[in-house]
Amino acid sequence: MSLLDALPTPRLERGSYPNVVLVSLSAVMLAAIWGLDAVSMAPNRIVQGAGAGVMEALGWPGALLASLLVLALGTLAFRPNPTNYSAALGVVVLILALMPFGLMVAGHFLIDPALPQARLGIGAGYWVVLFVLLLCLIELRLRLALTRLWPMLILAGVGLLWWLCAWLWLGDLALVQEYRARDQQLIRAVGQHVVLVGVAVSISVVLGTLLALLMRRYARLQKGAFAVLNFLQTIPSLALFGLLLAPLAWLSANVPVLAELGVSGIGNTPALIALVAYSLLPMVRNTYIALEEVSADTLEAASAMGMRASQRFWQVRLPLALPVLLEGVRITTVQAIGLTAVAALIGAGGLGTFIFQGLGQAAMDMVLLGALPILILALMVDAALSALTEVLRPGGVQ
Amino acid sequence: MIELSQVSKQFGDETAVDAINLKVAKGKFCALVGTSGCGKSTTLRMINRLIERSSGDILLDGQPIEAYDPVKLRRRIGYVIQSTGLFPHWTVARNIGLVPRLLKWSADDIQARVGELMSLLGLPLEEFAHKYPHQLSGGQAQRVGVARALAADPDILLMDEPFGALDPITRIKLQDELAALQARLHKTVVFVTHDMDEALKLADHLVVMREGQIVQQGTPLSLLQRPVDAFVESLLGGLERGLKQAALSRVKDHMSSLGPTLPSQYRIAADCSLRQALSVMLRDHADRLTVVDQHDVPIGELSLRRIVKEAQLEKGTSRDA
Amino acid sequence: MTHSATRRQRRVPHAGQKRFWTRPLLWGVLLCICVAGIPYAEGLFRWLEPDARQVIYQRAPFYALLGRHMLVVGAAAVVTIAVGVGAGIAVTRRRGRDFLPLVAQLASLGQTFPPVAVLALAVPILGFGTLPIIMALMLYGLLPIVRNTLAGLQEVEGDIKTAARAMGMTPVQILQRVELPLAAPVILAGIRTSVTINIATAALGATVGASNLGDPIIAGIINGNMAYVIQGALIIALLALTLDSLFDSLQTRLRQRLSAFPR
Repeated sequence: MSLLDALPTPRLERGSYPNVVLVSLSAVMLAAIWGLDAVSMAPNRIVQGAGAGVMEALGWPGALLASLLVLALGTLAFRPNPTNYSAALGVVVLILALMPFGLMVAGHFLIDPALPQARLGIGAGYWVVLFVLLLCLIELRLRLALTRLWPMLILAGVGLLWWLCAWLWLGDLALVQEYRARDQQLIRAVGQHVVLVGVAVSISVVLGTLLALLMRRYARLQKGAFAVLNFLQTIPSLALFGLLLAPLAWLSANVPVLAELGVSGIGNTPALIALVAYSLLPMVRNTYIALEEVSADTLEAASAMGMRASQRFWQVRLPLALPVLLEGVRITTVQAIGLTAVAALIGAGGLGTFIFQGLGQAAMDMVLLGALPILILALMVDAALSALTEVLRPGGVQ
Repeated sequence: MIELSQVSKQFGDETAVDAINLKVAKGKFCALVGTSGCGKSTTLRMINRLIERSSGDILLDGQPIEAYDPVKLRRRIGYVIQSTGLFPHWTVARNIGLVPRLLKWSADDIQARVGELMSLLGLPLEEFAHKYPHQLSGGQAQRVGVARALAADPDILLMDEPFGALDPITRIKLQDELAALQARLHKTVVFVTHDMDEALKLADHLVVMREGQIVQQGTPLSLLQRPVDAFVESLLGGLERGLKQAALSRVKDHMSSLGPTLPSQYRIAADCSLRQALSVMLRDHADRLTVVDQHDVPIGELSLRRIVKEAQLEKGTSRDA
Repeated sequence: MTHSATRRQRRVPHAGQKRFWTRPLLWGVLLCICVAGIPYAEGLFRWLEPDARQVIYQRAPFYALLGRHMLVVGAAAVVTIAVGVGAGIAVTRRRGRDFLPLVAQLASLGQTFPPVAVLALAVPILGFGTLPIIMALMLYGLLPIVRNTLAGLQEVEGDIKTAARAMGMTPVQILQRVELPLAAPVILAGIRTSVTINIATAALGATVGASNLGDPIIAGIINGNMAYVIQGALIIALLALTLDSLFDSLQTRLRQRLSAFPR
C-alpha cells in the first residue's frame, strides 16, 4: 500500500461542489439495474439460464425501491459534507443488506415450485451493482477518512446476513443448491487450500528472510539469487507444477524414506515446492529492499549513540523495515492463494478442484462455488494484512 | 509597468494576500521581502497568473491581466525559481531555448539566442550546451535558470528566491552578476527574497510584507532611514541598520576634495561602499582615508566626521521632506 | 560549433546501440531455434519419456501456438496499456483528480483477484475460448501499469511542472514534453512487469479452451507426459526472457537518453 500512502488524502470540500465519483458510480448502478439481467433461471444444473430483467425479477415496487435508493445515494453526493457522506454510507449498507431479499423475491416470482431442479442464477446486473457498491464503500471510506477496520466490519456484518438468508430462505439459488450438494467437500477444500497456502507462505517467509539476510552479507550471492528467482517467475505456474511431477515420482519410487514421508509425484509435495518457489521472489525482494532502505543516516546515528550491531538490527533496522516486509508477506500470500487453485490440476486438492471440475462438466455454478471463496479469501487476507501493516507502522514513519 | 491595486488572495478560509497596492515602474527592480508565509511568493505568482487572484486588479502595461491569454502572457514574462525547475531530461541548450521554441522561432535564431545568453551568463557554450541539469553545480544551474527566463527577451522578470539555495559565496557572486545584468538590460524585475541584504543590494524599490499585507514600501534608503515599526526595523537588521545604510552609499559620493593637510596613508578605492570604508577605518585605527581611483591615483579623501555628519544631514533632510 | 558537440554526444548512445540488440536478439534466436527444432529433437525427448507413445506435441505446430500465445498477450497488453496509462493520466489531471484515490485502490484490488478465479468467473459471461483469458490477463496486468503511471507522473517534481507552466507551456505540452518523458522509464517498468507476468499467466488459458502454449503443458499433465510439459514451458520461458530483455534494453536506453536520473 506504499503507493496509496503517497496519495494526497482527499479532504472534505466545503461548498456545493458535487462528488463526481459517487455521482458517476450511482449512474452506473442505475444503468446496470435497468440495462442488465438481474437474475437468470435455469430448469436444471447444466442448461444455461434464461435472463430476467429487474421488472420481471422484483416487480415494479422492487424496481422502484432499488432505483430510489441508488438515486438517494447520487443525490447525497451532490452536497458532500460529513453528514451526507455518513448518510450515503448508510444507504450503501442498506442496499447491500436488501440484496439477498431481492433474490428471495425473484425466486418467489420466477421459480416454478413444480420443477425441483429449477434454480435461480445471479445475473450480470446483480454482480455489477454489488461490485460498484464495494467501490462506493471504498470511496466513502476515503472521504470520511475511516480506518480499514470499518469496511471490514461492515462487510463482515453484511456477509453474515447474506449467509443467514442463503441458509434459511434462498434454497432456489443455484449457488446454494450447488453448495448443499457438496458442502462437506467444499469445507474440506477450503481447509486444504488454507493449509497449503499457510504452509507454503510460512516456509517462504523463513527461507526468504534467511536468503535476504545472506544476500546482505554476501554481495555476490545477491545477483545470482535474484537472477534465478526472476527466471523462476517466467516459468508458468502450470508448467512448474507439471515439471515437478516426474522427478518427484521417481524419487518416491526409488527412495523409500521419502515415499513414507508422503512425497509423491502428484499431490501436495510438488504443489508445495512450486508454491514456495514462486513465493520466494516477492518475499526475498521485499525483505531485502526493506532492510536496505532504512536510511543510512539513521543507522549511523544509531552506531554513533553506541548501539551494538545486534541492538541496531533489532531496535532500529527491523522495526523500520517491518511495514515493507509485511507488504512482501501480503503479496506472497495473495499470490499463493491464486496459485494454489492451479495446483488442483496436479491433485493437490483445494478450491481449484471445484473450478476445474466445474469447467470440465460445464457447470458454471460449481465453478462459481470454487472461484468465489478464492476471491473472498484473497480479499480478506489482503485487507487483514494491510490493516496489520498499518497498525505496525511506527508512529510518524511514512 | 506592473500595477497591483487592492489585490487579495484567499486559499479556503485563509487570506494569503490582503488588499495590497504596488506599482513597479518600467525598468525598475522591485524586491518583496518578508518572513516565509507572508504572501510574497503568492503575490509574484499572481502576476503571471500561476495563481488567480481572488479580488482586485492587476495591470500590465496599463492592460488588465485578463486581457492576456495566460499561456501567451507567461511566454512574455521570465520566471526564475529557487529550485531552478530545469527539465532534467533536456540539455542546458534545450532548456534555455524552451520559450523561443514555444514561440516558434527558427532553429537558427534559437541557436544564436542560446549562444548569446550563455555567454552573457558566463557559461561557455562548448562546455555546457550539452550538459544535463544534474551535471551542473547549484550556481551554474541557477545561471541556466536565469538564461532560460531571459530567452525570449521578456520585458518582465519574476524571480522567486532565485539564490536562496546557494552557498553564501556563490550567492553573492550571482547577486553581483544579476546587478550588472540589470544595469545593462533594464528589465522590470519583481524579486522575492527573505534575505534583506540581498534585497537592499539589488532593489530600486523595496516592499516589506507581513501576513499578506504590505507593511512598508519605498527606496531602500528611505526604509533604512525611517522604518515604520519594530518589525521592519528588525528585518532591516536592528542595531546594524546604520551599517546597512552605509553599504548602500559609494565612497566617491561622499568624499571631499584633497585638502591642504597631509593625505592619510590609508587608502580606499572610490567604488567601495561607505560600509567598507568604515571597516577599513576600524581595522587600521584611522579616522581619515585617502580615496584613490582604479589606477591608485588619489582623487579625494574621506573622514569619519564627514560620514557621521552626512548621515545626520540626510536624516535631517529626509525628515523635513 | 554546436554541430560538432552534438555529434560527439550522439556517439555515446550509438556505441551502446550494438549492445542494445544483442541480448534480446540472442534470446529471440534461441526461441526460434526451439520452436523450429523441437519436432526434430525426438531422440532427446524420447530419452526423457521412454515409455510414452508420442514425445513431441503434435496437435498443433509450435509456431502456431506461439503465435496465438503472443496474440493473446499482445491484445491484453494493448488494452491494458491504453486503459492503464490513460487512467493514470486522467486521474492526475485537475478534472480527474477526484477519481485518483478510487482508481489507485481499484488497481491494487485488481491484483488481489487471482487470475484463475477471474478466468473461471469470465467463462459464464464470455464462453470458453480466448476471450476469458484475455479478460483475466487484462485485470491482472492492469495494476502494475496504473501503479507505475501514477508513481511516475507524481514523481515529477512540482517545481518542474510549475516552471513549465510559468514558461507558458500549455497543459498538453507539459504532459507531452515534460511529464510523460520524465515518467517514461517508470511507466515502461510497469509495462514490463505486466507483460512478463502475463506471458506466464496466459498458459492458464489452456484450461478454458484457449489454444496457446499452455496446451502442451495441460496435455502433459493430464497424460503424465513430461516431454510435453517441458516443450510448452521452455518456449514460454524463452518468450518471456526475450521480451523481458527487450524491455530491459529499452529501459536502459531511455535512461541513457534522459541521463537525467541520478540513481
